[in-house]
Amino acid sequence: MIIADPKPFGQVKEYIKDYKRVLVVGCGTCVTVCLSGGEAEVQLLASGLRIALGKNGKNPVILEGTVQRQCDEEFVVPVLDRVRDERIDAVVTLACGVGVNFLADRLGSVPVFPGVDTTFYGASAGQGLWAELCAGCGNCITAYTGGICPIARCSKHLLNGPCGGSEKGRCEVAPNSIDCVWQLIYDRLKKLGRLSELQNLLPAKDWRTASDGGVRRSVREYLQEPK
Amino acid sequence: MDKECPQVSAGEILATCSAACPVHTDTREYVQRISRGDYEGALDILLEVNPFPSVCGRICHHPCESECRRKTIDTAVSLRMLKRFVVENTREYRVSRQKKPAERKQGAVAIVGSGPSGLTAARDLALMGYRVSVYEKDTKLGGMLAHAIPRYRLPADALMEDIQDILATGIEVRTGCEVGRDITFQELRKDHDAVLIAVGLAESHSLPIPGTESSGVFLGIPFLWDIANGLRPELGGRTLVVGGGNVAIDIARAAKRLGTSKVYMACLEKREEMPAWQWEIDEAQEEGIEILNSWGPKAILAENGNVSGIEFRRCTRVFDEEHRFSPLYDDSETTQVDVDSVILAIGQKACLDCVSESPVTVDRGRLQCDRSSMATSERGVFACGEVMTGPGSAIQAVATGHDAARVIAHFLQTGETLKIAPRAVQTIGDLPAETAARAKRFERVEVSLTDPAVRIGDFSPIEPGFSEMEALKESRRCLACATGAYLESEAVCAGCLTCVRVCPFGVAKVDRTAVMPAQQCQTCGLCAAECPAAGIALSRFATNKMREKLREMLAGTVAEKISRPFVVSYCCLNETTSREFLREQTEAEIRETGILRVMVPCVGRLSALDLVSPFELGADKLAVLACKEEGCFYTGAEGLLRRRIARAKKFLDEIGVGQESLQLFNTEGSAEQSWPRIWAQLRSAAPDDEVIAAQAAAGGDSR
Ligand SMILES: Cc1cc2nc3c(=O)[nH]c(=O)nc-3n(C[C@H](O)[C@H](O)[C@H](O)COP(=O)(O)OP(=O)(O)OC[C@H]3O[C@@H](n4cnc5c(N)ncnc54)[C@H](O)[C@@H]3O)c2cc1C
Ligand code: SF4
Ligand code: SF4
Repeated sequence: MIIADPKPFGQVKEYIKDYKRVLVVGCGTCVTVCLSGGEAEVQLLASGLRIALGKNGKNPVILEGTVQRQCDEEFVVPVLDRVRDERIDAVVTLACGVGVNFLADRLGSVPVFPGVDTTFYGASAGQGLWAELCAGCGNCITAYTGGICPIARCSKHLLNGPCGGSEKGRCEVAPNSIDCVWQLIYDRLKKLGRLSELQNLLPAKDWRTASDGGVRRSVREYLQEPK
Repeated sequence: MDKECPQVSAGEILATCSAACPVHTDTREYVQRISRGDYEGALDILLEVNPFPSVCGRICHHPCESECRRKTIDTAVSLRMLKRFVVENTREYRVSRQKKPAERKQGAVAIVGSGPSGLTAARDLALMGYRVSVYEKDTKLGGMLAHAIPRYRLPADALMEDIQDILATGIEVRTGCEVGRDITFQELRKDHDAVLIAVGLAESHSLPIPGTESSGVFLGIPFLWDIANGLRPELGGRTLVVGGGNVAIDIARAAKRLGTSKVYMACLEKREEMPAWQWEIDEAQEEGIEILNSWGPKAILAENGNVSGIEFRRCTRVFDEEHRFSPLYDDSETTQVDVDSVILAIGQKACLDCVSESPVTVDRGRLQCDRSSMATSERGVFACGEVMTGPGSAIQAVATGHDAARVIAHFLQTGETLKIAPRAVQTIGDLPAETAARAKRFERVEVSLTDPAVRIGDFSPIEPGFSEMEALKESRRCLACATGAYLESEAVCAGCLTCVRVCPFGVAKVDRTAVMPAQQCQTCGLCAAECPAAGIALSRFATNKMREKLREMLAGTVAEKISRPFVVSYCCLNETTSREFLREQTEAEIRETGILRVMVPCVGRLSALDLVSPFELGADKLAVLACKEEGCFYTGAEGLLRRRIARAKKFLDEIGVGQESLQLFNTEGSAEQSWPRIWAQLRSAAPDDEVIAAQAAAGGDSR
């Protein structure tokens, strides 16, 4: 899942301070799950904006809404309709960056602003905590590392064993909160009886499958409409 | 009727208390209304289905309590006492709401007998618009309630409250008129389109043993009847009551109150088999009544025609394997008790002399009657109450009275009989032990009965009613079963598991989308407060409805005219001990005092939005008045609320309102003592040290 954190309130306020009719729109998928951009956050942010801007003597109309996903045309159409029908002059989206872009591509002359900072692909690591687990590199190597990703979970993205900063299983970057992923990989492969595989060096990574190869697309030809 | 969470009228799933009640009183709703200080509204709920709430508040055997789900946690909610509290505190309102029929309909009904069943049917039919005449052989109305149940349990004025209410519907009554003697059954038939036989079980059974004709032998019901009518049957110094049921207990306790120094009860059953309610047995024993178990009477002994004792043989078994009454005796083991009087309380039967000259069929002493259509062998003649069902309780009799009114109305309209199908009652089921184990225990409010030594002195009532404080406290023990959380729309649920993680009772689950099974949900509202999709609703006291109400109240210019600083105050209503803060505030009051109270059953359900949005509506300060420290009804709510408040404070700083505008307080003592002080301080410029201390204790201030 994509993880995001709410943006500092002041930033969002600054974005929209000169607009008169603003729609705050949440997303019902990842950011709802990580408690940063669902309907509850929309309501809270909208209320905060009304209060804060009211104090500055501006009383913009702040409207609210949430759609199931902001990364699909069908779900986003109602937002576009609202923008048109309700004469909205700015949109704040609490979706991840994908949603911001998706809306920007479709909103014509109406600006869209991000309400969250999109951070990583991660998973719940307990109540109220999420941790990064995948970097979306486009060529998964976890088959060789016991299912544990050294790119996402190593502070230095090292592919062939730890650096000198690995101490007692912890990463020198933040020993209190980050495990050394190479310790995890070692332990895991040992458990799997595959420790010897560590001797096979991983070749230098071809980052073209990651963002270095240009903007990526994913195709399922069987479902594409014939040209 | 506008109910917070309709169950009975909407035919939805019932809480177990309502399901157990023969008339399905919407128990949860009236208890919740009491807890909100709406005693009048609670009375409306009671009277919706039960014309005898004053009687039931005193003597109902309260099957609701026996089925109360709170028992799995600690003890049942004291429902009968709460009912009594309602009727005792709404007398004027009750008179003001008395109803007359909207329109008169064609059709006259005669009702024979004015017990709870007959009067219930009479009231229902009168309210439908039919002409109803009740014939009662006694001088008083009420059946066994008026002339059998002793006054120390059911005072005459409590019964009168119910009866006056019923009479206000315009029923015609003829007391002192015995059908079959003062007027014939055929005459009744001639003058009415339908007749309802509700004569109850007025006669006591005697025993087929020697000596029953001796002087000093009494039959139970006539004995009680005499007492209720101000006579004092002559008993000697020692009395023995034969029987082990509730009637026998009433008789024994009444005998004690007549001044008899020694009262025994003797019955076939072992102690644990006795049909009397345990609490009745306990109270009787407290009064010095000695119970002799497993003895069957063999002969009443007499000297010069006066009772001198009674001989028993050992009873070795009362019921056979199929639980049928089939006693066995051991004649080799006998005993003798020397007494001056013997009262027989071994059961009752109907007196059906009233129909003896009529074609209505009586078979071996029992009125022939079809239970579902309540029809006798004669067209247009119906029966209800104990004459139809056999011995039962007052509220069961009331239930049959309602049914009788329905079948008779149907008959009057169509000439046909109506078969009433037994209502399929669906309940939410028992509270699972694992949920109960996580719930907090709260002691039931008990009242002390008059000291036994004093209470046997006369027939004065022995049980005090609840004070307001006690009633409010007890009402808040109710779990408000089946009024909890539900997903408003599956479409918005992201399956994020937040509800699962915050639910202190392990109730919420995600099965694709969230589910909070009504059977387990404790209605704390914590999941709704934290749901990131704002998709969980609460059927009892939804905070989104509260926000709308707040908005409504502060709409337009009202907010501008309010005295400043304007303090919105969320208050835990469980802390109130009177109606002072439960009453609805007037607009003028809010304007003048600058304080708007929002009463919440546990402030733990307030969401972050609830803690911010009042500022949007013009509030200068927001106070959250929680319960006493560690006093929360709900496990885990206090900690979560504190963290939510900390978050809201941070946000208030960010939006320029300032975190000091939101403060959390714990109630100290009662709401009435504690809250005005808090409000006064919030409204005055300089904060008072004590308040700051209270606030610091609540962990709500970061200064
Ligand atoms: C001692 C005692 C204690 C009880 N305690 C409780 C208790 O604590 N809680 C509880 O819920 N229930 C209790 N009950 C049971 C309850 O009183 C009965 O279930 C209820 O009264 C039955 O109502 P009914 O309408 O069927 O008949 P009844 O109440 O018996 O009324 C029948 C009426 O018909 C009248 N009648 C009979 N024949 C004629 C005629 N020919 N003409 C005119 N009128 C006639 C009678 O005078 C009587 O008034 C008790 C009963 C007794 C006897
Ligand atoms: S706790 Fe309340 S609603 Fe639940 S069974 Fe008991 S009285 Fe009824
Ligand atoms: S958190 Fe409270 S309201 Fe929600 S399911 Fe659990 S018990 Fe019910």
